[in-house]
Amino acid sequence: MKGENSKLPILAGTLVGLLLFADPVLATQTHGQPEGLYVHQMAHVFFLISMWSLEFWLRQRNLNKERGWRYIQFAAILFIIWNIDAAAVHFMDEHLDILGITKIDLWHIQIDNLQGQNGITILYYILKLDHLLCVPAMFYLYYGLKTIFKNTAVDDDGNRIQP
Amino acid sequence: MILSSIPILLIDLIGSFLMIVLSFLSLRIVFKLRKQDNDNLIWTYLWWVCLALSCFAVSRSVGHILKNFLLMFNHNPLWNTIRPVSGAINTFMFIVVGAVTLFFERIWRIYQLIRKDRQALQSAHKEMLFLNQNLERLVEQRTNALSDSEYKYRKIFEVSKDMILVTEKDGTIVNLNPTGYSLLGLASETDNIESRNFHEFMAESENGFDVMASVQSEGSISNVELEIITSDGTVKRILLSGSMADTSDNETETIHFLIKDIDQRKRMEEQLAQADKLASIGELSSGVAHEINNPLGVMLGYTQLLLRDEKSTSERYADLKTIEKHIRSCKAIVEDLLSFSRKSETEKELLDIHQIIEDVITFVQHHSNIEHITIEKEYNPGVRPLLVDEKKIKQVLINLVVNAIHAVGTKGHIWISTDLGEPAGDLIVKVRDDGHGIEKKHLKNIFDPFFTTKPTGEGTGLGLSVSYGIIKNHGGHIFVDSKTGVGTTFTVILPAV
Repeated sequence: MKGENSKLPILAGTLVGLLLFADPVLATQTHGQPEGLYVHQMAHVFFLISMWSLEFWLRQRNLNKERGWRYIQFAAILFIIWNIDAAAVHFMDEHLDILGITKIDLWHIQIDNLQGQNGITILYYILKLDHLLCVPAMFYLYYGLKTIFKNTAVDDDGNRIQP
Repeated sequence: MILSSIPILLIDLIGSFLMIVLSFLSLRIVFKLRKQDNDNLIWTYLWWVCLALSCFAVSRSVGHILKNFLLMFNHNPLWNTIRPVSGAINTFMFIVVGAVTLFFERIWRIYQLIRKDRQALQSAHKEMLFLNQNLERLVEQRTNALSDSEYKYRKIFEVSKDMILVTEKDGTIVNLNPTGYSLLGLASETDNIESRNFHEFMAESENGFDVMASVQSEGSISNVELEIITSDGTVKRILLSGSMADTSDNETETIHFLIKDIDQRKRMEEQLAQADKLASIGELSSGVAHEINNPLGVMLGYTQLLLRDEKSTSERYADLKTIEKHIRSCKAIVEDLLSFSRKSETEKELLDIHQIIEDVITFVQHHSNIEHITIEKEYNPGVRPLLVDEKKIKQVLINLVVNAIHAVGTKGHIWISTDLGEPAGDLIVKVRDDGHGIEKKHLKNIFDPFFTTKPTGEGTGLGLSVSYGIIKNHGGHIFVDSKTGVGTTFTVILPAV
């Protein structure tokens, strides 16, 4: 104990010295604008994988045979699709130089397709309605939890247990 | 292409609002689940998933709503300032939701283990509770069962008609049942047999060692015929089975013996064999006697005819007299043989057996020198008259008493007793002496015709054979029991009328 206490001032002194007399070594990397997009896209992929993993294990453990968990499985599937949808929209927005989106007024937008393919324009328009996927996903999650709550049995101590 | 932005705007705004509402509703349900079972790991997991999703929904939806309103009212610079922060929070929330969700499999597995352990604990708890509540009753039940079992096996040990003997490996007696004490002629109250050795009771101690060696090498032996010596020196034949057994502490080994007294059975078998043998000899004797009797009659007749014509002083007369004497002697033997083979006719009448015995004693006292021999009588007054041939029964009793006198010699005691047998009331007559006794090897031949231990010329060996035939002819039995140096007892059993 005595030896350890005697080393403490030496370590503290070294640290203070390093901080006071430090020179810039340009070791810290700077982060430009595209990084945020990449991280966001990666987050979508990560979210997708986690949802796929949940869906996979629900099937593996045969939990999808119970109503409540089956709804949660549906929620996971819808979140997977939503992630694909959102990632695709981000991709179209930021990476493809074929679409030009201009706000005309409060109620109209102009989507210009540089390659003149209306299909991609309509697809983009539909994909922009991503709440049509994530809201049902969230609803299924809620409904699944509600079903589990209803179906859980009550044990001898009055605690709800997994069916 | 110009398109309406209303659907996108409306769905975005309504959807964002619904996302917040639904995520909080989900959170509320999980909250209720947790409230009811706070220790449930799955509810905790769902709680964290819903919490992350709520944060995600709030961050994303608020961002979307702000974006739409700010752009709607041309606050583009403000939105451009907020946008990176909103996007970063949104991205962070994605990652949090994904990270929490990924733990599902591990959480589920742990939950299953906990559930299994909890069930085991609950089951053990219930069992403990049951044992606590019923321990006294269970102990009582077990004690009663043990006591019943102990009583049952103790009873088997005690009431067994066979001897049960427990010894150590070296033959030291550990336990012996009452039948065993009785068989060995010991008293269980006074004779402490424990610590004595099994070999002490074997007629030949080598047999005991052989038995022990066999049991220890083979593990068991069964139905070995041996002889044991009882406390009064009597030798008894036994049938012995035994096997090794562990004691309750599993540390020492004992040998358990089951011993049957087969002495009586063996004696019966020997008597039956003897009876069969005598019956066969009787048949043979009867045939021979009949064949010889007639020529002897003719010879006697002609001899007597010749004697009539001879003067009693002549030498020829003396010769004929000698022939006549020997023919009569032969005829007597033939008569005896016929008596033995039960072919001679009997004239039965109801007679007092005690009077017959008295006549016999008087006859013997007149014809024998028995001054120093005491004849003691012990009559049962309850004996009723019997249907017997007086002459023949007298002949039997004379034979037995004369034999007793010969056995006693010049000085001794003879006891004659009568009694009633159970349950038929048969007459039992015993003639006992304290003479030299009969050797064991002769006992089995004693009723054989012409068998005698007397010197040649002193007896024909037909006395007991004739007695045997007469008693059998009366439907009775005759036995002998003798011990060298102690004395002999003849027992006659005659059936009641």
